[in-house]
Amino acid sequence: MNDKPTKSSAHDWHMTDDLHAPQGKADPFAAAMRATRMAMIITDPKKPDNPIIFANDAFLRLTGYERSEVVGSNCRFLQGKDTDPDAVAALRKAVEKRKNINIDILNYRKDGKPFWNALYLSPVSDEQGNLQYFFGSQLDVTNRKSSELHAEAERERFERAVKERTRELEDALEARTMLLHEVDHRVKNNLQMISSLILMQSRNIQDEGVKNSLRSMLERVEALSTVHRRLYQTDDVTHFDVGDFVRDLVRDLVAASGRDDIEAAFQLGEVEIPAQQAAPVALIVNELVTNAIKHAFVDGRPGTVGVKVAKPDGHYRFEVNDNGAGMPPDIRSGSFGTTLVRALARQLEAKVSWESNGDGTKVVVTMPVEKGSPKEKAERL
Amino acid sequence: MSNLAPLKVLIVEDEALLAMELESLIAEAGHEVVGWATSSAQARKFVDQTDADLAFVDIHLSDGPTGLDVAAYIKAEKPTIVVFLTANSKRVPDDFAGACGVMSKPYTVNGLVGCLRFVQEGIRKPPPIASRPVGFALAPSYASQWGLG
Repeated sequence: MNDKPTKSSAHDWHMTDDLHAPQGKADPFAAAMRATRMAMIITDPKKPDNPIIFANDAFLRLTGYERSEVVGSNCRFLQGKDTDPDAVAALRKAVEKRKNINIDILNYRKDGKPFWNALYLSPVSDEQGNLQYFFGSQLDVTNRKSSELHAEAERERFERAVKERTRELEDALEARTMLLHEVDHRVKNNLQMISSLILMQSRNIQDEGVKNSLRSMLERVEALSTVHRRLYQTDDVTHFDVGDFVRDLVRDLVAASGRDDIEAAFQLGEVEIPAQQAAPVALIVNELVTNAIKHAFVDGRPGTVGVKVAKPDGHYRFEVNDNGAGMPPDIRSGSFGTTLVRALARQLEAKVSWESNGDGTKVVVTMPVEKGSPKEKAERL
Repeated sequence: MSNLAPLKVLIVEDEALLAMELESLIAEAGHEVVGWATSSAQARKFVDQTDADLAFVDIHLSDGPTGLDVAAYIKAEKPTIVVFLTANSKRVPDDFAGACGVMSKPYTVNGLVGCLRFVQEGIRKPPPIASRPVGFALAPSYASQWGLG
């Protein structure tokens, strides 16, 4: 047989002579191959450029070519501009190595219309193991392929959308955090300003009573300052560490009293309260500790102010105790400080119990753990 | 403590009320305020013209967040010790830009007086033995220089 495609269709069936199979139209294997709906070709690698030596009708229907146009040609004429070069390379390699290959490749019909070809190519050797032919089958999988590609595109689109939304949310969170820090910065500066104003005013006042009132006022503002200095220092902006705060506050108050003979003693468990409860709790602790320092150790009596912070079963428990002279009831019930403590305790739904005798004073504040806070909910899960 | 020589202090702070009150506190503690600057340019001038032992530097000044630049200038030009006074301590870099420490706003009167005592001891008779002031963060370089953990 010559290698070039011939125009004459009269010789078509003689081309099967190259199969070296039992000849004639009666050969059942050849008949099956001709008649099957699966597109099939056979190529001859012993000839230059491994040309097609047989193509069945299904192949011709699939590709739109005449038999005379395909027989004698290498099957690369099916490739076109969007055929993946990697797929072509994989095919070439399989032919060189005489290996089976199963690959989806974009091919083109004679009219230029592309189709996805699920190509199976397999070497055929004789009994001695000498390579005789390649057998190829082609299946149009354009529908499957396009739904695959569609699914892939959808997945990518979805991923892009998720990424975009995530970025939006991160930006919004960052903006919110920046705003929080900006407001926090202003609150801190303003608290410093309020302290400065009180101090400046008190420098210009001679009356000791007024001076003392201003000093108490300053202490309260400074307690709030200590809260705000500690607020938002960690990543968790919704909670406030009571222990750290108490240590700072009491160290400050004892040092500011100028009393070297008063010691502070701490028993501070790891207790966090919701940020919105920080200020009232801080003011209560400030009043109780200030009271102890001012009234428990009169006439040069030395002693210790103790603060305990704990969180037993469903309650916060804050205790301020001293080993001083005990507190007269009129100081407990009449002062502005006490009024403040009662009001703030009511706000926090807290119970305050006072015990005072000759051996000292003990005040215990118990406050329910807020059930609605996100952390509590998480803990209960 | 009180037998240590007083410090010459430079204040770099754009809020007038805070600066005024700070000046009173410093004077009450027995030290001398040698200047008050509200901007980085003014601060540089004071740094050149005075020999302060200690500079309290706010990070936000009237010309923007230039306090860190002021600290860098002081470090390059003078042996003056810098303590940042700021409501935004997160802006202070890990190496404290060469400063000795950060006093976080809002500080308390006692915290600031403690800070003055601590730094005075650090300058006049190191290492400082006064307890670490409340609200004060010591720079790692000074902590190791003074052998404080």
